[in-house]
Amino acid sequence: MLVLASHLSILPPGAPIRMEEKAGVLHLTVPQGEHVTLIEKFQRRDPEPYTTHSRIALKIEDNARVTHYKLVLEGQHADHQSSMEVEAGKSSSFTSNVFLMGGESIRNTIHVRLAGEYGECQLNGLYIGRGKQKIETHTLIDHQKPHGTSHEFYKGILDDEAQGVFDGLIIVAKEAQKTDSAQTNKNLLLSPKAKARSVPELKILANDVKCKHGSTIGQLDHVQLFYLRSRGVPEPEARRLLINAFASEMIELIELDELKAALLPCLNLTTSIRK
Amino acid sequence: MLEIKNLKATVADKTILNGINLHVKKGEVHAIMGPNGSGKSTLANVLCGREGYTATGGEVLFEGANLLEFSPEVRAARGIFLAFQYPVEIPGVTNSYFMKTALNAVRKARGEKEIDAIDFLKIIKAKAKEVEMPEGMLNRSVNEGFSGGEKKRNEVLQMAILEPKLCVMDETDSGLDIDALQIVAKGINAMRSPNRAFIVVTHYQRLLNFVQPDYVHVLSGGKIVKSGGKELALELEKKGYGWLTEAVQPV
Repeated sequence: MLVLASHLSILPPGAPIRMEEKAGVLHLTVPQGEHVTLIEKFQRRDPEPYTTHSRIALKIEDNARVTHYKLVLEGQHADHQSSMEVEAGKSSSFTSNVFLMGGESIRNTIHVRLAGEYGECQLNGLYIGRGKQKIETHTLIDHQKPHGTSHEFYKGILDDEAQGVFDGLIIVAKEAQKTDSAQTNKNLLLSPKAKARSVPELKILANDVKCKHGSTIGQLDHVQLFYLRSRGVPEPEARRLLINAFASEMIELIELDELKAALLPCLNLTTSIRK
Repeated sequence: MLEIKNLKATVADKTILNGINLHVKKGEVHAIMGPNGSGKSTLANVLCGREGYTATGGEVLFEGANLLEFSPEVRAARGIFLAFQYPVEIPGVTNSYFMKTALNAVRKARGEKEIDAIDFLKIIKAKAKEVEMPEGMLNRSVNEGFSGGEKKRNEVLQMAILEPKLCVMDETDSGLDIDALQIVAKGINAMRSPNRAFIVVTHYQRLLNFVQPDYVHVLSGGKIVKSGGKELALELEKKGYGWLTEAVQPV
């Protein structure tokens, strides 16, 4: 694994990626036809307050593919802000899997410009907030050319007094005919004081496109809970099982065992067992 | 084993059960029949402690203990099983993980040793074969995308694994074609034993052709209006419920 910055690494190690730092922004270019995995792992666990600022500009050239992982596992008083501006070329693909868990305040920003025809983009994310954590996600997918596809799926689990915000905008330019786009945000509230705000937004200027979006904010399903309990599973365990089932869909997207292993202990949602 | 005395219950503040009396002994199969809205499913759900089904009077003793005091999981650990009319889908939890968790929870509550993954696999494979469930379905999410028949078979599989003392079957025959009905009935019959009792709630006589009851009770207006042997079910099949229910619910 090639380590580019303290929190950033790239697979495979010999990937011919170009990089340059300008005015606090790390510029990365993935050349034509290359396949690269980009891993951002923010795992500083200092208990005292600190701030993390990370800005990346990623250019994906034609026919190149990038898989991106971002794990935010900061200390409990950390203020974390990380953003990525992606420009994706013709027939390129960008897949992002984001996991937001540690930090008092987390702001995750991803903007993707599909600047060539047949561009593909997938944005997936899972945020888990407890205590008084505030976790925000702001995404923009800008379809500029025809035949692009984008799938966005973010899930949130919010306990105690945690707050989650999902703000996702999808723009389809007038020229971007035959765009296929779907956006989903689902939130699970585990406590009466937890809050979720979901702001999905579509701006469609083309007339021959398929676009859909939806968001839900709900609690654990009482019928599912009763079903598990009627089979002898005690209520706290039944709740844990259902919460993990909700999260597992996103965890399964991780193809690197090492990342999965780093994440699993953070998913131990044993605190979330109140009635 | 089970003694229901003058049980009254409400659902959403509406009185549904109006004084049920029923005595079930080990080894017996009791069929509860009755028209829609007579309280059959309510009785099944009250016995299993479903939220929203509130007992407002009378008592239910299971092996001498006051059943109504217990949470659903404690009832399960004590040996009560409800086969759901509408089995619940749980995306993200595999069937076999669910059943292992349930079996070990019940064993733990009874002070028995937990079963490890390898032994459990042997048990579930053998039981799945009995209800003709393909092994592939064990690794799918609980009931997700299952057909009506597969869901009901899955209920019988869970029952076979948990080996309860009292099985409450809520409209297990609804939505089944004849082949699925026979498989489910076979699964139930395989579990009949001198130490296990069944309460089979059903609208139609159909299931009772395959699972022969010792007693048949007709529920109407939240009360048992007639009890008899298995011949009563045949009589109901011919004459319908009208002749029994008119007496208690004058039009």
